[in-house]
Amino acid sequence: MTEALFAMDDVTVALRSNGRKMVTGVGLSVKPGEAFGVVGESGSGKTLLTRTVFGLQDDAELVSGRVRFDGQLLPEQGYARAARKLLGGRIGFVPQDPFSSLNPTMRVGKQITEALYLARGMPMGAQRTKARAIEVLGEVGIPEPELAFNQFPDQFSGGMRQRIVFAIALAQEPKLLIADEPTTALDAITQRRVIELMLGRCRSHGMALILISHNLELLRQSVDRIAVLYGGQLHNITHADDIGSRTVHPYTEALFECIPSKEKTLADIRAIPGEPVGAGFGTKGCAFASRCRYAEPICRETQLPLNGDQPGRFSACLLGRGADA
Amino acid sequence: MRTLWTYARTNVERTALILAAIVILLAIFGAWLAPFDPTQIDFRARLQAPSWEHLLGTDGSGRDVLSRLLHGAQITILSTLAVLSVVVVFGCAVGMFSAFVGGPIDNMLMRLADVWLGFPPLILALGFASALGASLEAAIWALIFSWWPNYARLTRMVTVDILSRKFIASADALGVPTHAKVTRYVIPNAFDVLIVQVTLDISAIMLAISGLSFIGVGAQIPMPEWGAMIADGRSYVANGWWIVLAPGLMIFLTAFSFNVIGDMLRRELDPTSRRRQP
Amino acid sequence: MSGHPIVSLKGVAKTFGKRLLVQNRSFALSDIDITVGRGEVVGILGESGSGKSTVANIVTRLTGFDAGTYLFDGADVSAFDKKEGFRFKSRVQIVFQDPYGSLNPRATVAASIMEGLVLHRPEMDKATRRARVAQLLDEVGLPADCGDRYPHEFSGGQRQRIAIARALAVEPELLVLDEPLSSLDVSIQAQVLELFVKLIGERDLTIIFISHDVNVVRLICDRVYVMHQGRIVEEGSAEDVLTHPRNAYTERLLAAVY
Repeated sequence: MTEALFAMDDVTVALRSNGRKMVTGVGLSVKPGEAFGVVGESGSGKTLLTRTVFGLQDDAELVSGRVRFDGQLLPEQGYARAARKLLGGRIGFVPQDPFSSLNPTMRVGKQITEALYLARGMPMGAQRTKARAIEVLGEVGIPEPELAFNQFPDQFSGGMRQRIVFAIALAQEPKLLIADEPTTALDAITQRRVIELMLGRCRSHGMALILISHNLELLRQSVDRIAVLYGGQLHNITHADDIGSRTVHPYTEALFECIPSKEKTLADIRAIPGEPVGAGFGTKGCAFASRCRYAEPICRETQLPLNGDQPGRFSACLLGRGADA
Repeated sequence: MRTLWTYARTNVERTALILAAIVILLAIFGAWLAPFDPTQIDFRARLQAPSWEHLLGTDGSGRDVLSRLLHGAQITILSTLAVLSVVVVFGCAVGMFSAFVGGPIDNMLMRLADVWLGFPPLILALGFASALGASLEAAIWALIFSWWPNYARLTRMVTVDILSRKFIASADALGVPTHAKVTRYVIPNAFDVLIVQVTLDISAIMLAISGLSFIGVGAQIPMPEWGAMIADGRSYVANGWWIVLAPGLMIFLTAFSFNVIGDMLRRELDPTSRRRQP
Repeated sequence: MSGHPIVSLKGVAKTFGKRLLVQNRSFALSDIDITVGRGEVVGILGESGSGKSTVANIVTRLTGFDAGTYLFDGADVSAFDKKEGFRFKSRVQIVFQDPYGSLNPRATVAASIMEGLVLHRPEMDKATRRARVAQLLDEVGLPADCGDRYPHEFSGGQRQRIAIARALAVEPELLVLDEPLSSLDVSIQAQVLELFVKLIGERDLTIIFISHDVNVVRLICDRVYVMHQGRIVEEGSAEDVLTHPRNAYTERLLAAVY
């Protein structure tokens, strides 16, 4: 088993204002070069978890747990600052909104070279920096990168802008790229291109990718392993291929049955009754118990922590569903 | 009333609510509570310091300050309400009409409102004072004339925003007639924004009336209007400080409480804080 | 029942005027031919900016058009007088994408659902109306006691159910669903989809289903029109078009969908 590039262990995130625990006891690890998905509905805590772990969320903090990146344990003291320091260097971040994450008054090329200067700490010569920036623009599939270098963000479409954000992240040659719903604002054709671009980079450069999405089908077809969050709890880490073919955690199974994908007929679609439970719902049992078709009374009382660096499939289901690997 | 109380988060806000309630009660019952006739001149008793007989002393003409203050509450609040009610009804009607018709008429009305806002109320008041004679009525008319465009613009903005929302399209799909759209959709949804503005304007208009009276184009002595009382008491500050202090304090406290309440309502009712830019 | 198609758009076009430097080209329509027969579930599939929502607005007469003809149940809607125009509003209803914006936040759920009855069935007495509201709430899967509550007390999925009940109250012949699932959570999308399937089965409804979701359209629509940049690029049976596309754009779209 290869050493994990990035790992979190028993991570709990709470709001600073009232100390309410929003995400509890999450443990997962990502190997170098792995494409890793995080899926969850709105309120599952997927975005809060990621943003807090990488020090981007001001109103929440890590109240317990360890986060390790590239063999280095992030300190408890000054955690957010240390985590943020990794971003824009060895870790790239692509946010959801391609429209607000670029500086509209700065030329695209300048935004990339600036990122390069910041990442290297030491200028490598204007000529070479520019050449590298144009190279990256080409790599993310921007047509005529030399021309694009001197243009402003608003001269590009949404998909192209998302590529530019991606290019800025890639310019620093990160070992890990975090993409939080990078394609929700894009149309289907562009979405596929952007996702495949990221996956391609993953395969060709050995960059690890954490792709956060609400779309289980997209993740199933794209990444290697998927972490399933619901109600602020991590319920399942599964190989993407197992979804729909082998027993997985009841929530993963139910979520998959909700999605009208290509192979399904109307009879295959089965809705989950009830409303999603928000993060921080505050009971001790399994968050999904109230909607789970297999649930037994014990499920409302206790929850198996899902933790650590165990290989392969892993399920937090108390009844042992999806944990038979 | 109880809801208002639950909105209050700080002691300042609770105090403001209590003060506002007292002022309103005084405006209603003050005249009965007054121990003396507020306009009764008694030169033998002029410039008396606060005592058990005259709790707030007497003014330069020997009138009882407390009685004047209590009667003044009614005058101040009533004239403020007079200005506000006309301004709100007329301004909102213009604003809503403008938003509903849209196009060139909308543009024209709003430019008119802009130009109108350019006239300082003071100049208008001077004009009215010279036409009608300096009086409280002249000040009220001047304020009505200068204040309505604020509401026209605010209401238009709020209405345009409401009309662009999807529930209006849903109403159109059902064939809801315009008058029902106004009463069932626009007014209830604009209410929060307007009530905040009205509360804030209570203090602004009150200050304006008192201000106009103070400079002599509004209420005239012996009318016990607070601003006029300050103007009248100015010359006695050295040997009758209470004459100016009492109405001054009342103006300050009333304006302050309605302002605090307005800000509180804005916070509680209107989290997005859409508001007219000053 | 007449033999006319319920909706027949022929050569319908709409351009949006230039507004000082801004030209809204993406939503303009040209040469739209759409026919919807009674009892059909017809999908209009397209990405954002393809003009599909403009089609919804034209069909429901929320917006006009510049060229072409629109026959509703055989009658030219441009020639409708006031009375016919008003009656049209009880025959065609629409459900919008955003359940948070499409309900009046200051009206109770019952008042929202009842509004159409008050307008279009003035002869109905209060008790009957109340009974209808309870029946509609039950039909869309909401508890009967929620009529006195306000929209903000409900989740997105529940609000969408309320919007559906409001649209169904006037017993429309044609229901236009404009991206009714897009702003809902995955597990709630499936719930509302099940509701649509149930309604299609139980009611005598014609539905125009406007969506960007290829898979949903394939599952519930009989026929589909694929729109791209304000034009219809392909039409046919949903199963056929969405498994064996003939148009290059449709093909690209299908290949991209997960």
